[in-house]
Amino acid sequence: MFNYTFQWKQAMRGLPEMLDGALVTLQIAIISMVIGIIFAVLLAVARNSNSRLLRAPASMWVEVARNTPALFQIYMAHFGLGTFGIHLSPFVSLLAGITFNNAGYLAETFRGSLRAIPSTQLRSARSLGMGPIQAFRLIVMPQMFRIAFLPTTNQMVWAILMTSLGVTVGMNTDLMGVTQDWNNRSFRTFEFFAIAAVIYYLIAKAVTMGARLLAWRMFRY
Amino acid sequence: MFETGLTLNDLKFMGQGALITLQVTAFAVIGGTLLGLLFGIIRSQVNPWLTLPLVFLLDIFRSVPLIIQLVLANAFQAIVGLGLSAFTTSCIVLALYTSAYCTEIVRGAISAVPVVTRRAARSLGMTWGQDMRQIVFPMALRVGLPSWIGLTLGVMKDSALVGFIGVFELLKQSQTLITRLQEPMFILIVAGAIYFLLSFPIARLGGQLEKRWREND
Amino acid sequence: MKLSFISGSLLAATCLATATGAFADKLDDIMASGELRCAVVLDFPPMGSRDAENNPIGFDVDYCNDLAAALGVEAIIVETPFPDRIPALVSGRVDVGVASTSDTLERAKTAGFTIPYFAFTNVVLTREDSGIETYDDLAGHTVGSVSGTYEGIQLEDSIEAWGDGSFRPYQTQADVFLALSQGQIDATVVTSTVASAIIATGQYEGLVIKGDAPYLVDYVALIALRQEYGLLNYLDLFVNQQVRTGRYQELYDKWVGGTAPNLTVSNVYR
Repeated sequence: MFNYTFQWKQAMRGLPEMLDGALVTLQIAIISMVIGIIFAVLLAVARNSNSRLLRAPASMWVEVARNTPALFQIYMAHFGLGTFGIHLSPFVSLLAGITFNNAGYLAETFRGSLRAIPSTQLRSARSLGMGPIQAFRLIVMPQMFRIAFLPTTNQMVWAILMTSLGVTVGMNTDLMGVTQDWNNRSFRTFEFFAIAAVIYYLIAKAVTMGARLLAWRMFRY
Repeated sequence: MFETGLTLNDLKFMGQGALITLQVTAFAVIGGTLLGLLFGIIRSQVNPWLTLPLVFLLDIFRSVPLIIQLVLANAFQAIVGLGLSAFTTSCIVLALYTSAYCTEIVRGAISAVPVVTRRAARSLGMTWGQDMRQIVFPMALRVGLPSWIGLTLGVMKDSALVGFIGVFELLKQSQTLITRLQEPMFILIVAGAIYFLLSFPIARLGGQLEKRWREND
Repeated sequence: MKLSFISGSLLAATCLATATGAFADKLDDIMASGELRCAVVLDFPPMGSRDAENNPIGFDVDYCNDLAAALGVEAIIVETPFPDRIPALVSGRVDVGVASTSDTLERAKTAGFTIPYFAFTNVVLTREDSGIETYDDLAGHTVGSVSGTYEGIQLEDSIEAWGDGSFRPYQTQADVFLALSQGQIDATVVTSTVASAIIATGQYEGLVIKGDAPYLVDYVALIALRQEYGLLNYLDLFVNQQVRTGRYQELYDKWVGGTAPNLTVSNVYR
């Protein structure tokens, strides 16, 4: 029927390596999210602050991250910085690009959720004698995370999917890189990428389910 | 002061790429929105158990990297012998991808319309169609438009990936210039600036609309 | 009875349609459509590159134009990076690949190869300050090449055999040169023609050729779909005619200079 014979057995030979690649993918996604969240909180606070000196660079970071393609950001981290002699390995440049992107988007999310918390909360905490950082840490941040939990989960899934772009900067140890490697040698494009698609789907679903479980446990009263 | 090999001709070359980006985005957004409207209405009106297969299918588009969707679609249309150009394949894949997100936006927007208002409309003798067109649509539009604008811009940025299957959009054209001129930083900044200029004003507009249409406490 | 009559006639019509279609092969399709779409690699001078107006130029580009002229159709150059040549062919984006495709047995499982139309020797391309003098010095360094190419696969195998050093695959030849010039990789193995061409452009400072790579002569062929025997036979004759009429040497003089390499392997017929 089709002018093509599917060779699933040959594609299955690549499965162990692809699963190792999936582990690397998860590693990159998790690290980029952790660092991204840290930067995002800082950026959100900086954008809300009264000093121009803090607001301007923070705004620039967020606007560039949200208005340019992720592929462009990863390319910049690898080849753009390379012009200045800063050599980031494919792993690090992929990580840097995704973290830059994560921080930008999450900063907007956190800024929105910060706005959603009534200022009375912070004021009452201060009037009870808490210092500014203490009040932020104990009162504001838990509420912020609760509001921002769902968008942050979405960003995590996006981070996992974005790791697939690493193949354009020479990344060959993550899931997409391994798949493309096998594809370039055997030309069984459909079989290999179909298996990779299933693996990505399972990872994304696992993360979403896990997050929902976490939310149910964490945000119970 | 500042030397570059970039000529006006090259800027035109990049402009051609930007045109392709806009074309792919336009096809994807129009197709995706129409499909999204259809699926969104189905999802909000029909029994959840019946729409389960549709939800599952749309979920796949949001859980698999776009680059893999493009490569798979390209390989599949070759196997089946459809003979579609890479451009057509990209438009179709991006449209389906957009529709998956648009469905959620439409569903959220429709459910944001208070049920009592809709029931009142029906009890006044309006048909389901009239209710949808004259009551739900204006209210849902206000809720959904900012998200939809965000989705459109997201698709425009994701269109950079279609270069991977051989469509000569902006980023791929920039790569060609980098190969010839060996000025990666400068050319990438120009490309980034073009993306920024295409995206930022519309994003701002969406933000303004969101602020204006947000319900006051 | 009516239903079986309708279905029967539909079946007959489908059979007729596919039957007439089955006799027209790729060669007929190309001549009928008036267009020959060639896959050409445009970041691989002097075989394929772009001039100052971003137009495709090179040995492969001229070769494709000659082929189109012989068929009496218009040539359409479709740019494909190295890993995308055979996928473009298989997915129907191009009709033939004039893209310096090495005729490996692994690839021959998927694509159909003609007789060789060009031959390369591979050399080590590195920077002056890298301290690499011979091929064996590559052990322990970070090297890179284009994913899935003849020299890329051999280089990766060497690195694995030495057990020392790392290999980075890139998706285009241009990315490899960029990475080499920026210092992300210490060396790569490429054909002598592209190495000379890249150094001659002067765009990359400090690149030198340091010795030959111990690979067999890299014969490259035109590629077409594996089952298109009509087209493959025509292309075989075309390559032979290019050499016979002296056009091969003419193009070689234009783009590389010197005596064009011998395209035969001695002691074997074909």
